[in-house]
Amino acid sequence: MDLELKGRPLVSGVKRGIALVSKKPLSFLGGVDPETGLVTEKNHDLMGKSIKDAVLCFPHGHGSTVGSYVLYSLAKKNLGPKAIVNGTADPVVVVGAVIADVPMVDKIDVSQIRTGDTVEVDGEKGTVKILERKKTCT
Amino acid sequence: MHLTAEEEKVYNGERGWAYQTAMKILVKLGDLFDAEKLIPIESAHVSGISYKTLGDAPIEFLEALAKTGAKAKVASTVNPSGLDYEGIMRSAVPETVKEKQEKIVELYKKMGIKPVLTCTPYYVSKPKQGSHLAWAESSAVVYANSVLGSWTNREGGPSALASALIGKTPNYGLHKPENHEPSVRVKVETGLKSEAEYGALGIFLGKNLVDKVPVIEGLRYPREADLKQLGAALASSGMTSVFYPCSRCPKKAENLEKLAVDELTLKKAFEDLSTCSEEPDMVFVGCPHCSLNEVRHVARLVQGRKVKENVMFWVCVSRHVKAKAALHVQAIEAAGGKVVSDLCAVVTWLRELGVDTLMTNSAKTAFYSPTMNKVNVRFATLKQCIETACYK
Repeated sequence: MDLELKGRPLVSGVKRGIALVSKKPLSFLGGVDPETGLVTEKNHDLMGKSIKDAVLCFPHGHGSTVGSYVLYSLAKKNLGPKAIVNGTADPVVVVGAVIADVPMVDKIDVSQIRTGDTVEVDGEKGTVKILERKKTCT
Repeated sequence: MHLTAEEEKVYNGERGWAYQTAMKILVKLGDLFDAEKLIPIESAHVSGISYKTLGDAPIEFLEALAKTGAKAKVASTVNPSGLDYEGIMRSAVPETVKEKQEKIVELYKKMGIKPVLTCTPYYVSKPKQGSHLAWAESSAVVYANSVLGSWTNREGGPSALASALIGKTPNYGLHKPENHEPSVRVKVETGLKSEAEYGALGIFLGKNLVDKVPVIEGLRYPREADLKQLGAALASSGMTSVFYPCSRCPKKAENLEKLAVDELTLKKAFEDLSTCSEEPDMVFVGCPHCSLNEVRHVARLVQGRKVKENVMFWVCVSRHVKAKAALHVQAIEAAGGKVVSDLCAVVTWLRELGVDTLMTNSAKTAFYSPTMNKVNVRFATLKQCIETACYK
């Protein structure tokens, strides 16, 4: 399959990877362990999942602005996401993506993307291409 | 966003990585909020200092910036840390924690950001009326916009730091006059008698207004400390960053959506801020940090009294105010209290100090401490706080 979603470019760079999709807002401070890259936010649908090398798709961030530094710290330890896709970007995540140098696009309906999809994020054009979707056992 | 030729050069990295990163942060935020340009600021106030709230995450980033030799372009200050310079906290935390905390402060200093370590930078240097600022401490943001007549958005730690290094901020939000226009009329139908009641009102309004700009009528002769408590609380439970206090509603706000606050509502908001009624281990005033007037007031109230042996009585102020309040500090310490600088109870290691129950006159502290410090809270007026802290 080859579906292109058009959003707004925020942080430049083109990255291809496997999507990790959440329906819930994510706080990087307190919500992601900076030592392991695992989501630790209670009652979160990604709880226990690793964001390392994922194309991380979630509606928007929340919580402390220190969260931006957590993204930087994760990226320096190679535990960060390959790219970020948001419904509506907020300052914490945008600033985090800028300093961590992670391509980012927003204004995307993230429910169109499924965890496990192979996607390509273009932070220059503001697009997310779904290149491959694993067949689900239904 | 339109960038000048010089801004463009910084953005493209011609002035080095640190300034480029700072410029990128500002430009991306500008894009996000549809700013058309950057505007010069008078000062920046940076949050993100306490090692207790930060952890290790920002140290690498701050180190990378500081290493380049990048310096703040405008007068810049930082928020309280987790430790005090006189060492009250130092025996309660391990050596490694002290080292990390000192390193964070040192890195800001290296970038030319003044380690005032206070949430009330306006007592150190008052910004000019009508000046544009990039301040990150939410209580200071509300105070600047509502009491001092300066203009600042509610910045985050990283964006305020970026603004310090560039000396500019993207022109959006509260930098534009149209966003200062009141959008709701709050009618306080009961007389407020203490700073704590102003704080309780702030918590109630913050929850109900979200980010609306209120005219708050029915406030009779509020003191500066009352408005400071109201604003700090507003910003804790909501996103409101400016309010207009008045005794009577101005004509232009008469037809706005109305919200009435009666005696019962206020009483409930006040009571809801306590999580227990036990005897406190610590009585804390000075969130936000006390002004000279407030320190004087506390000194008068404790004059000739003695703080109970099993109670820590803390009055938090900036070093700057403490230095000006020598006699009052003496009076408070003679009574057995501590006048503490450089930190704030909420961002320090209270449990490690042995605090289970905290009593405070600050609605902001009462709002945050049960989750941030995992302590029980008793919320009360300053007078009640001192009555409880001292022997009869």
